[in-house]
Amino acid sequence: MIHCLLIQISNNKRGLPVRSYRTITADEVTIGRYVESTVQLADPRISMHHAVIKRLADGQAHLVSTNGELEVDGVKMQSIALTHGKKVLLGPYVLKVEPAPPDVSLALSLELANPLPDDFQNIKALTQEPLEGASAFKRKLSLWLAGVIALIFLGLPLAQNFIPQLQATMAQLPLGFDRVWSPGHISNAHLHFGSQCSNCHQKLTQKVTDNACMTCHRDISPHIADTDLQKHAFNKSHRLSDGVRCAECHREHKAPHPLARQDNANCVKCHGNIKAIDSKTKLSNIHDFDLDHPGFKLTFSTGKDTKEVERIPQTDTARLVEKSGLKFPHSQHFGKVQGPDGVWDVRELSCTNCHRPEGKEMRFQAVAYARDCQTCHANQLDVGPAKATIHIPHGTEQSVMNALKVQAPKQASQYAAVLKSDGCSYCHEISETKKGDTLPWKIAPLNINQDWFSKAHFNHASHRSQKCESCHQVEHSEISADVAMPDRKSCLRCHSGNNPKPKRIASGCMSCHDFHSSHAAKETK
Amino acid sequence: MQRSNIFDYKHYFFFKIAVAVILIAFIAYIAFEPPIGHYGGSWLGYVLGIISALLVFWMTWYGIRKRRYRGSGATQGWLSAHIYLGTALTVLVTLHSGFNFGINIHTLAYGLLLMVVMSGFFGNYTYMIYPRQMTENMGEDNLDGLLLRIADADKLARQIALIMPDDINNTVSRACSETAIGNGLLEQLRGYQPNCPTAIAVAQLTLMGKDLPSEQRKPYRELYSIMVRRLSLVKRVRQDLMYRARLGFWLYIHVPFTIALLVAMMAHIIAVFFYW
Repeated sequence: MIHCLLIQISNNKRGLPVRSYRTITADEVTIGRYVESTVQLADPRISMHHAVIKRLADGQAHLVSTNGELEVDGVKMQSIALTHGKKVLLGPYVLKVEPAPPDVSLALSLELANPLPDDFQNIKALTQEPLEGASAFKRKLSLWLAGVIALIFLGLPLAQNFIPQLQATMAQLPLGFDRVWSPGHISNAHLHFGSQCSNCHQKLTQKVTDNACMTCHRDISPHIADTDLQKHAFNKSHRLSDGVRCAECHREHKAPHPLARQDNANCVKCHGNIKAIDSKTKLSNIHDFDLDHPGFKLTFSTGKDTKEVERIPQTDTARLVEKSGLKFPHSQHFGKVQGPDGVWDVRELSCTNCHRPEGKEMRFQAVAYARDCQTCHANQLDVGPAKATIHIPHGTEQSVMNALKVQAPKQASQYAAVLKSDGCSYCHEISETKKGDTLPWKIAPLNINQDWFSKAHFNHASHRSQKCESCHQVEHSEISADVAMPDRKSCLRCHSGNNPKPKRIASGCMSCHDFHSSHAAKETK
Repeated sequence: MQRSNIFDYKHYFFFKIAVAVILIAFIAYIAFEPPIGHYGGSWLGYVLGIISALLVFWMTWYGIRKRRYRGSGATQGWLSAHIYLGTALTVLVTLHSGFNFGINIHTLAYGLLLMVVMSGFFGNYTYMIYPRQMTENMGEDNLDGLLLRIADADKLARQIALIMPDDINNTVSRACSETAIGNGLLEQLRGYQPNCPTAIAVAQLTLMGKDLPSEQRKPYRELYSIMVRRLSLVKRVRQDLMYRARLGFWLYIHVPFTIALLVAMMAHIIAVFFYW
């Protein structure tokens, strides 16, 4: 039997503690939310049947949990002996064993130590502001981003430039800090040292100098053979800079574009208004092959030396006469022709039967009698009656005379006259010799033009797909003085100028011309 | 009559300017191709770069100007220009780059600019659709009003739960005291909270109500409907927080990346002129 005094402490409206006393006599004192509990505690944190106070076998009153939590000094317990001064946490309540007055065996005080928070304040506390601390976050992120970028992309590259020791250390590594400044791919040729910017960019804020290029390209010759022209033309066209730097035309960091500029803009810069560069020049202004390129001039050799040449415009047809020293009608060596063995001997001749291509660029071997003429024209060098024909070798005048003297000493001078009027002169021009000369006559010297367009380059190989006669019209050429070189118009049938046109290939200056014959300059050196 | 908004401000004045700028830039890009391909250092590249840099500065200035509440012109007009010219700027810098990208400061600056513009687009989008949805979601209420109604529901629910068995009481009690709203950035942006105690409570209550004695059935039904109402209220508050978070979140990227862009742009310009 429990006979106990229960002191319930609660706060009144003013917040002052109020004690209410109640004496309970029962076998067991039940505590819980349940309406019929001995001590009903209306709090959601208390179980329906939270605990019970009863005497156990030892006679001592115990607080025993039925379905609720009991806690003493932070330790959860199932059964607690209610001895004097004991303090038990019962959910939000504190149960304390008070000194018992004499009429009861147990005095307990019960106080709500941990009242439920206000519902509104509670839910408000559980609700976060949207984007709490956003401005602090933004400030922090801004500072971090700005700092990291400034360090990696500005600070370190600059430090490398300003601190020589750092520069020296970084030069040992495959990459420098300033690699992040590289604006584009470096050409393959320069890749092996290009990752160290300072190899070319030697001074801050200064454009790459020629000295940087010359470190490797020591043997480079001036790009214009005429050194006067080099100074004159280049200094004048670039008033803003002191001469032309290598890098003006050889643009790095632009791979896969070629290092040397291939465009016409650079050429047209001067040649579009060439008088501004050189007031005495005879050159005309050129902007575009299709628009204003002048007609071609053909180069005629005028002497033995390669420099003795005359360049005659193709429009001046009266002067376009090749003095080769040969007599050769192309018209009779083209298509189906009569062979040497009678009327049934018909042979088909094409250009390549005599003009034999040679080499990668398809230059042509010189026409040779033994290989190209003899098959058909062997009997041109036969003299004498049918039964005593003498075969004269193709060679110098001297060897021809010697052969005559050996084989027909009596008729030598007669046969020599025959050869002069028919045999040798069938193909060669014959010139008289002075009186007293050992030879009765001479073959005119051969002077076959090799390079008609000496200021341009032409690659037959890249025109392989075309027929020869589409450019060289020789079908109707009766004499060897005819010149069968194509003119600008015939080029324009397939080629256009700087821009492609329908069915015509774009062809810039560099398609035919070298930069001021820079390579010729090197060869002559 | 609806008042003009930032998009059709002054009969699409800035839209027309932006279109004109883009068209001119494209025509110039096609017409003047340098022989070695487009790049930032051609004369066209320089022109595009200078215009872009000036635009970036001017747009950054909008961020400062709009916080001053005074000064030149209507903020609406400035914002309209900010949006349209910002779009045109993206085209200009892309053409300025000549589509040459690499691992370097130049592409970094480009990337940062794209981040800024894209976040701006997202911000623009949020301001186009969320304010209307926010009004639909909240109706006549405001946030504190909803919270007050949740608190009322809590009080009622607790009271009824006092006479209910322990499991129901505990579930309700936990739902009331542990349901957090907008807990963390991710949940604010999603507008949804996994394992929400209120949602769990509603789900569990459905099962727990089966074996109740008859006298508890009526209060149980009342309790259940209160908890359902609480859940819908909580969802509305979450939705509201989501809208507000999304309306502000794009600035997390827009502003710091603008600062980063300014620094990167400076480094970009310095790099170009230090290593000619």
